[in-house]
Formats: sequence, structure tokens, C-alpha cells
Amino acid sequence: MTGTLLLTRLALRRDRVLVAIWLLLLVGVCYASAEATTSLYPSLAERVRAAEAINSSPSIVALYGPVVDVTSIGELAMTKLTVLYAVFVAVFMVVVIRRHTRTDEESGLTELVGGTAVRSTAPLAAAVLLGCGLSLVLGALAGLADLAGGLPLEGSLAFGASWAGVGLVSVGLTAIACQLSASSRTCAAFSAGAIAVLYAFRAVGDTSTGPLHALRWASPFGWSTQLRAWSEPRWWVLALYALTAVGLITSAALVRGRRDLGSGLVAERTGPAQASPRLRSVLAVTVRGHRASLLIWTVAVAALSVFFGTVAPDISDMLDSSSAREMIERLGGVGVIQETLLAAELSVSAVVLTCFGISVIAQAGEDERSGRTDELMAAEGSRGAIIGSHLVVALAGSLWLLVVTGVCMGVGFGAEEGTLTSSVRSLVAAALGQAPAVCLVVLLTAVAWSWRCTWHHVGWVFLAAFVTVGQLGELLRLPDWVVNLSPYSHAPAMPVEPFDPAAATALLALGVVALTAAVARFRVRDLG
Amino acid sequence: MSSGMDPVVEVAGLVKRFGRLRALDDLDLVVTRGQVHGFLGPNGAGKSTTIRALLGLIRVNAGSATVFGLDPWRDAVAIHRRLAYVPGDVALWPNLTGGEIIDLFIRLRGADPQRSRRAELIDRFELDPTTKGRAYSKGNRQKVALVAAFATDPELLVLDEPTAGLDPLMEQEFNDCVAEHVRRGATVLLSSHILSEVERLVDHVTIVRAGHVVESGALADLRHLRRNRVRATVKEAVPSLTTMAGVFDVQTDGDDLSFTVEPDALTPVLAALTGAGVRDLTITPPTLEDLFLDAYRQPHDDRP
Repeated sequence: MTGTLLLTRLALRRDRVLVAIWLLLLVGVCYASAEATTSLYPSLAERVRAAEAINSSPSIVALYGPVVDVTSIGELAMTKLTVLYAVFVAVFMVVVIRRHTRTDEESGLTELVGGTAVRSTAPLAAAVLLGCGLSLVLGALAGLADLAGGLPLEGSLAFGASWAGVGLVSVGLTAIACQLSASSRTCAAFSAGAIAVLYAFRAVGDTSTGPLHALRWASPFGWSTQLRAWSEPRWWVLALYALTAVGLITSAALVRGRRDLGSGLVAERTGPAQASPRLRSVLAVTVRGHRASLLIWTVAVAALSVFFGTVAPDISDMLDSSSAREMIERLGGVGVIQETLLAAELSVSAVVLTCFGISVIAQAGEDERSGRTDELMAAEGSRGAIIGSHLVVALAGSLWLLVVTGVCMGVGFGAEEGTLTSSVRSLVAAALGQAPAVCLVVLLTAVAWSWRCTWHHVGWVFLAAFVTVGQLGELLRLPDWVVNLSPYSHAPAMPVEPFDPAAATALLALGVVALTAAVARFRVRDLG
Repeated sequence: MSSGMDPVVEVAGLVKRFGRLRALDDLDLVVTRGQVHGFLGPNGAGKSTTIRALLGLIRVNAGSATVFGLDPWRDAVAIHRRLAYVPGDVALWPNLTGGEIIDLFIRLRGADPQRSRRAELIDRFELDPTTKGRAYSKGNRQKVALVAAFATDPELLVLDEPTAGLDPLMEQEFNDCVAEHVRRGATVLLSSHILSEVERLVDHVTIVRAGHVVESGALADLRHLRRNRVRATVKEAVPSLTTMAGVFDVQTDGDDLSFTVEPDALTPVLAALTGAGVRDLTITPPTLEDLFLDAYRQPHDDRP
């Protein structure tokens, strides 16, 4: 244990902002969903119809898992959270564990610490301890948030425990993944891949009959449904998470004890000895840095968008059973409900896609702090080329992903409804309707970074703030002017609402102001 | 070549503040064409800050700086095409190989990697160009930057503690490369706090401390101004030695004497030694180490 507790405290000290934001968002979603569902489905009959609609659609069951007890308000409220949002819990742990193991090892921090009087496994132990602690805290807070949102006590606690369990398993998975490769990025890819496979196991298990049905027990995400949090919980399922986590963590410790510092089990691949003729500008090297990431984003966004487009008719059947139906029909007639859903999905996509742009700017800050930007400047000399390359990749990448979203959602929806061309056309336009808001948030991130190099992560704070006031603002009953602070609040809910030229112009004008400020500031400030 | 008629780098009265810290405090530096100029000082003396100002990476608060007669801030692109820079701590792109990074830097400076000395230098520095940036050790990262810098014919080489992390064989290779570039007429600004590595290469030095120049000039002139160390074994005591003008640090151990002496005082000192009957005598010129320590000691110097 030598040094472990000290390192755990150090890790927590370094992570206090990151951890606070994650906890706030995840717990906030729990509370908002619990609160909203209790008021949206006041009667038992409506709940049952909504739950049965979910269970009758294989694609929704694949995404959310089945509703075990159709009469339970808690299970309905936590439909998305039990399995789908548990993925975010798992990702949270990937972020925390990787940060304090492989990332520190790659940067040489672990070597510095290793030179002091701590055991070689202490950094891993400290990260695991922090991850497990955070999982348990998150589980407890999630349970309390459900309780505060009006859900029953026992179910709330069991639900919280399922999140904690997923967190613990993810801690173990990441601990092993971070032993495999010397590259922090590759370790993240291993972790993400493992989470995706486990999620897929559950999706296949939940939707198929026959022998494959057992696959739902092969995944911690499946256990979260099988725990039956809201009707006579099977508490013994919690032991599955715990035992799996202990097994994974022990294996990771064994591997760590047997390998050298800075090495991985998978050998580092070599690459070409000469650069391709295209690698000849600052822009080319920036594009190269984000190429793999943009490819992964594109595939993921395309797959999810086709999926959302395809299930939109199914989900609207589900909403159709609720009290929302009369209201929506009074507003716009039959069929509009599907478009409302697509518009809602697009507004969420816009927020998610902004993450790509923000990550590009955050990387620009990392490049600068590491000294790579100095080297480029000393070779090429143009500040405009430096900031321009990051802005081009961030903005063009975000726009590209919006177009992919629109096309794929249109294909999914249109193929289902037999209106391929018109659906693609209207959904691409709808997706691009979000572009001014997305670009503005990316440009505000660029302003923060160009103001001060160390502010390159401020974009995440902007995004968290805008999501809180904009997307959750109505649920949290914030005043209008606060909700309107978010650029996303001004993007039209196309294809339901028409394009709003005034709002788009205003957002773009603010974007141009932000762009000018960012470039002007970057031209005069010290690098590094 | 030595008269300062053709300055490549000219810095006068440079001031750079970081908050309340004066990183550069009225710093002057002139490097003329063809010089190998050692820029010496301890960590935190302002060497890298000066270099970063010369590269236009930071803006100074006062004073003037020119490179090739141009403004490093406004004319960065024009200046950087004519120079090559190697930082003390080379950061590489984790997903690019060393070979790709070398090609990128050569191209960014407007040259063609195929017509450069790239292949020869990769060989000489025993670098594996297929390794990804993240997998290189510190010494190998340094080699990547050195190969990129030496592969073309820049007019000015700006090297910021470039041999940190290199083994002695590679350091020799580095010295040879610098010498080759100097022969073809390149100017070199070489910062370091390791004196021995610079001493064999440089012809001029500027010594900085706390952002201010404490000593600057041709290595030969600086030596000339400084005290020689005398070690002698004499038959009788030399009573007048400690009171003689220009004699310092006198230590006696039986018949053995050791002291430093200013060049002007050398004649009377030698006469006094001869009078005492010299059996053994060595006079060594000051090493750069002595110059360096001397320059640093000045503020606290309680000696005459």
C-alpha cells in the first residue's frame, strides 16, 4: 500500500473539476428523468402502454433493454438510464483510470513517481481505488436522485447499485486495457471496444430467442436489467459485478507486476520511413492527427443515425400511447410526432457532434503545451497557418459529421417509410440547421484557447453549461433568458419548425465575432 | 568574420516579463555571420526565452531584436525559411514516425527531403525512422530534430541545449555536423549549460545570468582577460605572495603552492617564484568552467 493512498489523494486533487462535472451531469440526468416521467405518465394504464410499446419494438429493446415490469413507474423512468446511459458511467471510469495509469506512464509522470518510495503497482492501485470510490459515490448519488425525483426507495437503491456495478466492471476492464499497449490512445480504443462488445452481447441477448438469449447474462449491461431493480430486486446479481471487477483488477495487477514501466503487452507498430507527399503543411499534419478519430466518429455517427432513423416510427408508436398524443395531434396532425422525434434526436446529435470540434481545439492546446507548435512555428513561421489549421479541421469536421447524421438518419427513416429521397433531403437540411449553433460553440472554445493556452479545455465547460441551461433548462424550470443563453436553444427544431433565418444569421454573426477575436488574439499572444 | 560587420542576430536591451518575474532584463546579444556563438547560463537564466523571442514565439516587453535584419515577430515566415531550430526538449507527434516528422520539417522549411542529406544523417545518428513518435526515447527524439535541422543548408542553426540525452558517440557526430555546417558558412547559436560540450565548438560566448548578460566576447579575448592558475613547488617560502597585487586564492601545502594570477601580475609573480627557487611549475589558462563560475560569482564576490 506504500504511497497508494497518497497517490489516490493526488489523483482526486487533479481530477476535482472533471469528476464534479461528470457526477453533476450523470446525477442530474437521473433526477430530471425521474421527475419528468412521474408527471408525464400519471396513470397506470398509460405507463403500461408505453412500456409494452418499448417491449414490442426489437430495435428499442436492442438499444435500451426490455422493460421487465410494465407496471413500474421507476423502470419506465430509468429505461434509457439502466443500460444506455450506464455506458456513460463506464466511459467515465475509462477516462479516470486511463488518465492515472497509461497517460501518466506515457508522459513520464509515473517514472517520476516510481523513483520515490512507492511500489511499482501503487499508481495502478491508486487509480483503481479512485475509480471504485467514484463508482460507489456515483451509485449512491444516482439512487438518491431517483428518490428525490419521486421514485420508490428500494428500486432507487437497486438502480444506483447497478450503475456502481457497471462502474466497477469498467474500472477493471480499463485497468487491463491500460496494460496492453504503450499508447494511451490505443488503450482507450481497447476499453471502448470492450464496452461496445459487451453492449452488443446484451443487445443480441435481449432481442433474440433461443440459445443466444443467454448472452444477456454475458454482459454487465445485461445484469443491470436482470437485477430487476424495480420489482423484487435479485440482489445476488450485484455479486456478479463485484466478482468480475475483482477478477479483472487482480489480473491487471498481475500483468502490471510482470511488465516493464512504459511497455505494453502488444508491441508498438512501426510506420513508413518517409512521409507521403501530401504531408507538407501545417494543415496536413493537423488533419493527420485527427484522421483516425474523424473516421471512427463518422462510422459511429452513421450507424447510430441510421438506427435512430429506423426506430423513429417505432418510438412514436410508443409515445402515441401516452397523453402526449392528443396534444401533438392538436398541434400538427398525425405523422408530425415522428418528425418531432427526429428533430429532438438531431438536437441531441448536434451537442454530441460538437464534442469532435471541441476535442480538436483541446488538442491544439495540448500541441502547444508540449512544444510541437513551437517546432511547427520555427519551421513554417505563420501563426495564421497554426490557428487556421485547427479551426478548419474542427469546423469542417463538425459540419461533415452533421451532414453524415442527416443523410444516415434520412436513409434509415426514408427506407422504413418509403420516402428515401425526400427524407434524406429534409433531414440533411434539418441537420445543417444545427450548424450555426455547433460552429459557435466550437469558435467560443477557440476563443478560450487563443486567449490563454492553458484554457484549451474550457470548451468542455461551455458545452456542459449550454447543455445544462439549454437541454435540461426546461426540465429544471429555469427562466427563459437563462435557457436562451445556450446557442443550441436558438437552433430551429427542423424538420418540424421551418428554418429560422434570423436566428441563424445572429448565431453566425456571433460566430464571426468569435472567429475574429480568436485569430486576432492568437496573432499577438505568447506561444506555450 | 569576427568584426561584427554582418550581424545575423542582433538583440539590444531585451526585456521580457512573465507576471512579476523579469525573465529577460536588458539583454544584449550579437551573433555575426559565420560565428559559432555559445549562449551560456544556468537553468532559468533566460536562454530559452531569448531564443523563443528570436523565433517570434513570444513577444518582448521592451528592446529590439532582429534576425537577418528582419523583425522576428512580423517577418517570421521569411526568417524561418533560412534557419533551423532544435529545442532542448523535442516533442513529436505520437502517431507520426520519425521519418515522416523529418520530411515534414524539411518541407515546411521549403526544401525537398529527397535532395537533402536526410538518408546519410539517419545513418550517422543511427536513428530508426520507422518508429512512431510516442515510442522514441529522449535521445532519439533529439536525433529526429537534429537530422531534420542538419539535412538542409540553413543559414542559421538555433540549437537550444541540443545534446541533452545524446550518448558521447552521438555527441561527437553532433560536433562533426556543426563543424561541417560552419565550414560551408553557416552561423550557429548554441545554448548550453554544459560547458565542456560547447568549449570545443564555439568561438564566441555570451554568458547570461538572471536575464542579463554578464560576459560576452570572443573566447580567446575572454581567456586573455582572465586569471591563469599557477601551481608551483618551491625550495623556500615566498612571503610576499599573499600581499602582491593581482594574486588570488593562494593555497600552500608544504612546498606546494597554488594560486590564480591576473596576466598583468604574471611578471613580478614569476620573479618572486624564481627567487624562491622553482622546482616545478605549471601555468594553465582558465577553462570555460572557471570563466563561468567567475561570472556567476560576481554579485557575491567579496574579493578585490
